[in-house]
Amino acid sequence: MSDMGNEMLTVEHLHAGYGAAEVLTGVSLEVKAGTVVALIGANGAGKTTTMRAISGLIKPRQGRVLLAGKPVQGLPASRIARLGLAHAPEGRRVFGPLSVEDNLLLGSYSELPRFFGFRQQAAPQLERIYAMFPRLRERAHQLAGTLSGGEQQMLAIGRSLMSRPKIMLLDEPSMGLAPVIIQELFATIRRLKEEGITLLLVEQFAKSALEVADYAYVMERGSIAVAGTPAELRRDQRVLAAYLG
Amino acid sequence: MDFSVIAQMVVSGAFMGLIYALVAYGFQLTYATSKSINFGQGELVMVSAFFCLTLTNLGLPYWLMVPGGLLFGAVMGLVVERTAVRLALEQQSEGWILLTIILGLLFFSSAENIWGRDDRPFPTPISADPMQIFGVDITPLEISVAVGVFAIMGLIELFKRKTLLGKAFEAVSADRDAAELMGISATGTVMLSYALSGMVATVAGILVSPITTVGPTMASALILKAFSVAVVAGLDSGFGIVVVGLVLGALESLASFYIGSGWREAPGLVLLILALALRPTGIFGKAVIRKV
Amino acid sequence: MKGQWKRFLLLRGVELAALVLLAAVPLAITNPFALALLTLLAIYGILLIGLDVTVGYLGQVNLGHAAFLGIGAYCAGLTVAILGWGMPAALAAGFAICLALGALLALPALRLEGPQFALATLSFSALTTTVINEWESLTQGAQGLQVARPPVLGVALAAPGFYWLCLGLLALVWMAMRNLLGSRWGRAFEALRDSPIATDAMGVGTYRHKVIAFALGSSLGGLAGGLYAFNFQYLQPQSFTYELMVILLLGVVLGGRKSLWGAFVGAALIVLLPNLLSNRLLFQIFSAIGLGLAVFAAGRGLAKKTTKPFQALAPVVATGLLLVGSLLVANTEDWRKAIFALTLFSVVVGLPEGLMGFAAAALTKVFRIASAPLPDAAQLESVLPARAAGGEPLLELHQLMRHFGGVHAVDGVSMTVSAGHIHGLIGPNGSGKSTAVNVISGLYAPSGGEMRLRGKPLPVGSLFKVAGCGIARTFQNLQLFGELSAIDNVMVALKDVFHTPVPLVMLGLAFNEERQARAAALTLLQLVGLGARARVRAKDLTYGAQRFLEIARALARKPELLILDEPAAGLAQPDVAELVKIIRRVHELGVTIVLIEHHMDVVAELCDVVTVLDGGKVIAEGPAHVVKRDPKVIEAYLGAVATEVAQ
Repeated sequence: MSDMGNEMLTVEHLHAGYGAAEVLTGVSLEVKAGTVVALIGANGAGKTTTMRAISGLIKPRQGRVLLAGKPVQGLPASRIARLGLAHAPEGRRVFGPLSVEDNLLLGSYSELPRFFGFRQQAAPQLERIYAMFPRLRERAHQLAGTLSGGEQQMLAIGRSLMSRPKIMLLDEPSMGLAPVIIQELFATIRRLKEEGITLLLVEQFAKSALEVADYAYVMERGSIAVAGTPAELRRDQRVLAAYLG
Repeated sequence: MDFSVIAQMVVSGAFMGLIYALVAYGFQLTYATSKSINFGQGELVMVSAFFCLTLTNLGLPYWLMVPGGLLFGAVMGLVVERTAVRLALEQQSEGWILLTIILGLLFFSSAENIWGRDDRPFPTPISADPMQIFGVDITPLEISVAVGVFAIMGLIELFKRKTLLGKAFEAVSADRDAAELMGISATGTVMLSYALSGMVATVAGILVSPITTVGPTMASALILKAFSVAVVAGLDSGFGIVVVGLVLGALESLASFYIGSGWREAPGLVLLILALALRPTGIFGKAVIRKV
Repeated sequence: MKGQWKRFLLLRGVELAALVLLAAVPLAITNPFALALLTLLAIYGILLIGLDVTVGYLGQVNLGHAAFLGIGAYCAGLTVAILGWGMPAALAAGFAICLALGALLALPALRLEGPQFALATLSFSALTTTVINEWESLTQGAQGLQVARPPVLGVALAAPGFYWLCLGLLALVWMAMRNLLGSRWGRAFEALRDSPIATDAMGVGTYRHKVIAFALGSSLGGLAGGLYAFNFQYLQPQSFTYELMVILLLGVVLGGRKSLWGAFVGAALIVLLPNLLSNRLLFQIFSAIGLGLAVFAAGRGLAKKTTKPFQALAPVVATGLLLVGSLLVANTEDWRKAIFALTLFSVVVGLPEGLMGFAAAALTKVFRIASAPLPDAAQLESVLPARAAGGEPLLELHQLMRHFGGVHAVDGVSMTVSAGHIHGLIGPNGSGKSTAVNVISGLYAPSGGEMRLRGKPLPVGSLFKVAGCGIARTFQNLQLFGELSAIDNVMVALKDVFHTPVPLVMLGLAFNEERQARAAALTLLQLVGLGARARVRAKDLTYGAQRFLEIARALARKPELLILDEPAAGLAQPDVAELVKIIRRVHELGVTIVLIEHHMDVVAELCDVVTVLDGGKVIAEGPAHVVKRDPKVIEAYLGAVATEVAQ
C-alpha cells in the first residue's frame, strides 16, 4: 500500500465513455494537497471526460477515484460536491437566468440555510470573492447570461471557491477568451496558488499551465502519455508532438 | 348590452379563472425543475378534495383538515414523481406524458369507487351570501378564493425569488449538471417540486370545492382550462399566469352567458390551440436555443 | 433464393391465411354475437393502424384519435341522413373530412414538442365533444343520432355483408399501409422521431412529414368512424371520450407499436375487453397470467442486469394489484378505468415493445426467418457522380456573426471555400468553428454578415432549405437515426431517387425504385466500409462505425459541399487512418469538403487550405504547413513554449 500522505485526489486506472464510445482507457493521476496539477493535451484526448468522471457527472466504468482517501467513484455528483470537490466545468456553465450574486450564493449551497438567512451567513465568503474579483461586485445584480466570456469565467471560478473546497477542478478556463483576459485569469490562478489552493487544471494552453503548475500530466487518446514537472516537460519533444502532430 | 350584467359575468368568471391559474401554478413548479408536468393534475385536485372531505366527516375541524389535506397532497405528488416521472426523466424520454395520464386515470377510478360518483358539498367556514360591491354580487367565498390564490402565488413567488431553495429550483432547470456540481441534488429537487405541486393542488381543491362541489367530473372540468392558462401564459411565466387566468375566466363566463352554457369550454380550448399555433412558449414565456 | 421464398411465404402466407379464415367465419358460424365482435375487430383494426402512425412511428402521445373516430362517424352518418348518399360516398366523406381536419390540426400542433402536442390534441378532442354536443340542430346533441345503414351500389348489407365490407377495407388498409410504411415514407416518419435535426439536414422536411403522418392517421380514424356509425346505427357524443382514447392507446401499446399485427392484436384485446371484465373468473386468470409474465420478466431482467429495479418491479406491483383487486372487489365493471390504467402502466413500463414486438423477436428466432436479401451494390458513378471542380469560389462568408446573449461565438468571420478543395477549419476549443458551421448549415440564423453559395445568397436559419442547395453535413454529436438500420439511415437521405406518387406506393408499385435505392445505399455503405453491417441497427453499431455511417448518409445527398464536423472525434488510430482514406476518396470525386478537426495530423495530411479561428475571429489562413508555423496560431494553441521546443 503506497504512502497515502497528503494526496487530496487520487485517480486509479479510470475507464469511462459516452454510449458506445470509450474515451478514457485507463487514466491514473494524483494531486497532492496544496499543489497545482495541470492536465494538458490536444483536444479529443479526453481531458474533459476525465474531469467529468472524477466529479461524478459521468459514472466511470472501471477504476477508482479517491477524494482525501475516500472512494467516491460512482457517487452522484451532488454527493461528491458536498464532500468537498468543486468542479468549474468546461464552458463556464453559469446559471444564465440568475444574477451574479445568486450564482455565487449557490456555490455554497450545501452549507447555507435553504430558506432564509443565507445571505448573512454567506456574507463573509462572498466578500472575499468580491475582493478577488471586483468586476463581479460591480455586476452583482446583473443576469449571469449577459456577462462577457471572461466575466463568466471569473464567476464560475468564484462560484467554485464559495464552498471553500478541498480541491478545485478547473476545466479549460481560457476557452474562447481573448489573450488579455487569459493573462488576468492566470494571474488569478497564481494568487489562488499562493493562498494554498489544491487545484487540478485542464488547459489547452500548455505554456501558461506549465508556468503555474507544480506537476503536469499530458493526455493523449484517453490515457496519460507523459508526466513530470514543468521543467522536465518543457524539454520533452513528445509534448509538442502530442499537440501539433 | 346591460353593462351591469356583463360586469357580473366578468367578475364571477374572473374568480373561477383564479382557480385555473392556481392549478396552472402547480404545473409551473414541476416544469421549473424538470420540464415535465402532471397530466393527471386535475385528478389530483379531486382526490385531495375528497380526502379533505373525509377528514371533515371524521370530525376534524377545518383548521386541522387543511394541513392534513396538504400533507396528503404532498405525498400524492411524491407518488406521481416516483412512479410516473422519474423513470422517464432518467431515460431522457417523454414517457412521463403517458404515465401521468395513466396515473390520473387510476386516481379517478379509485375516487369513483371510494367516494362514489355523485357530487358532494364541501364544507367551509366562510359564508356564501352575496354582498354588493360596486353594483356587482360577490360572495365572501369568492373573496376567499381570491385571497387564497394570491396568498399561495405570493408564497410561491417569494419562494422562487427569495429563498435559496427557490434559486436552486431555477438552477436545476437552467443547467442540471452545473446544479449537481453545486451540491444540489437534481432528483431531490424534482421530488420536492412535485410534493409542492401536490400541495398546491390540494389548496385549489379546498378553495374551489365549496363553490363547485366535489365530484368526479371536477377533474376534467379544471384540467383543460389550467392547461390553457399555463400554455397561453407560458409554462415559466410568473404573474402572467394570473393575468391569463383572469382573462380566461371572464371570457368563459361571457361565452356561457351569450352563446350557451355548453360552449363554456370553448374559449379556453380555442385559446389553447391558437397559443400553441402562434407562440408555443407562451405570451410571457422565454424562447429556447437548440444545441447540436 | 430459397430463404427469400420461405420468408415471403411465411409473412404473406400468414396474412392471407388469417384473412381467408376471418372471411370464412360467417359461412361456418351463425352466432350473431360472434359476428358482431369480428366486425368490431375489423373496425378497430383500421382505427389502431391509424393511431399507430402517430404513436408508433412518430413516437408522440396523440390524444385526439377518438375525436377523429367521432368526426368520421358523424360525418358519414349525416351525409346519409341529410344528403342521401350511399355507403362508398359516405365513407369517403368521413375519410376526406378527417384527412383535411387532421392536416389542419397538425399544422399548428406539430410545431410543438411532446407535451404541448399532447395538450393540443387533447384540446382538439374536448373541442370536438363540445361541438358535437352543442350543435344539436345537426347532431341531435346528447340525445343521440340514429344512422341508417346505406346500401352499397344499390345493395343493402345485412350482417355478413357488412362484415365482409369491413374486413375487405381492413385488408386494403393493411396492404396500403404496409407498402407505405415500408417505403421512404415509413423511414422518414421514423427518422424524424429519432433526430428531427438530422432529418431536416438530410433534405427530408421534418415538419411536412409529421403533418402528412398525422393527417393520414386521422383519415384512417375517419374511415373507421364511418364504419363504426353504420355498425351501431346510433351515435352519441359520450362514446368518443377520454376513456375511449386511453383504451385505444392501451391497444396500440399492448399490441405493439410500429406493427400492423400489433394494431390487430390490440384491436382484438379492445374488442374482448368488456367480456373480459364482466366475467370475473376470466379476469382473474388474465391478471394471474399477467402477474406471472411480469415476475418472469422482472427476474430475468434483474439477473441479467438489463433492467433497473424500478422498471422490473413496477409492472409486478401493478399486475399484482390487478390480481388482488380481481379477488377482492365486488364489481370489476366499476373499476374499469383502474384496470385499464394498471394494465397500460405495466405494459408501458415493463413491455414497451408490446406483445407483437416481444413475439416477433421470439418468432424470428424460432422460424429462423432470414431477412430479405440485399441487392447488389450499384456503381459508384451512378450514386455519386464525379464533378469537375476548378477552384472557383464555392462558399463565401463575409463578416459572419453569431451572438448568444453576451457571448460573441462568431465575431466577423470572412472565408472563401474554393470548389474542389478540402478546406480545414481549426482553432482552440470555443473558437467558434462549430457555431460557424451551424450557421452555414442553417441550424442557427446569423446575427450579421453574409453567406453566398456560388455567388447567390445562402438561405438562412433552415437546415432543410440549406440541404436543398447541395450542402450536406455530419454532426459533432452524432445525429443518427438510432432505431433504423445502417442502410435505412442512408436511404432516408438519398436524393432524386424517390419519385413514385403516394397512391402507387400504397399499391406496392414502388418496388423497383426501392430496390435501386437499396443498391445505391449499399454502394455508399461499402464506400465507408460498412457494407457488411448494412442491416445492423444504427444504435448497435460501434462508435467508429457510427461516425462513418453519418458520412455515408451525408454522401447520399450527392452534395456539392460536404461539411464534416469533427469526424475523427473519439476515434481510435486505425479508424482515423480509415477516415483519411474515405475523405480522400470523396475528394477525388470532386466534392468540396469543409473539415473541422482537432487532429492536426489529419488536417495537415488532407487540407489544401486551413482557416484558423480563435475567439470567433480568423487569425490565420493558408496551406497547412504554413499555418502550423504561424506564431499567432502556435500562440493560440500553445503559447510561445512550442517555438522554444521547436528550436
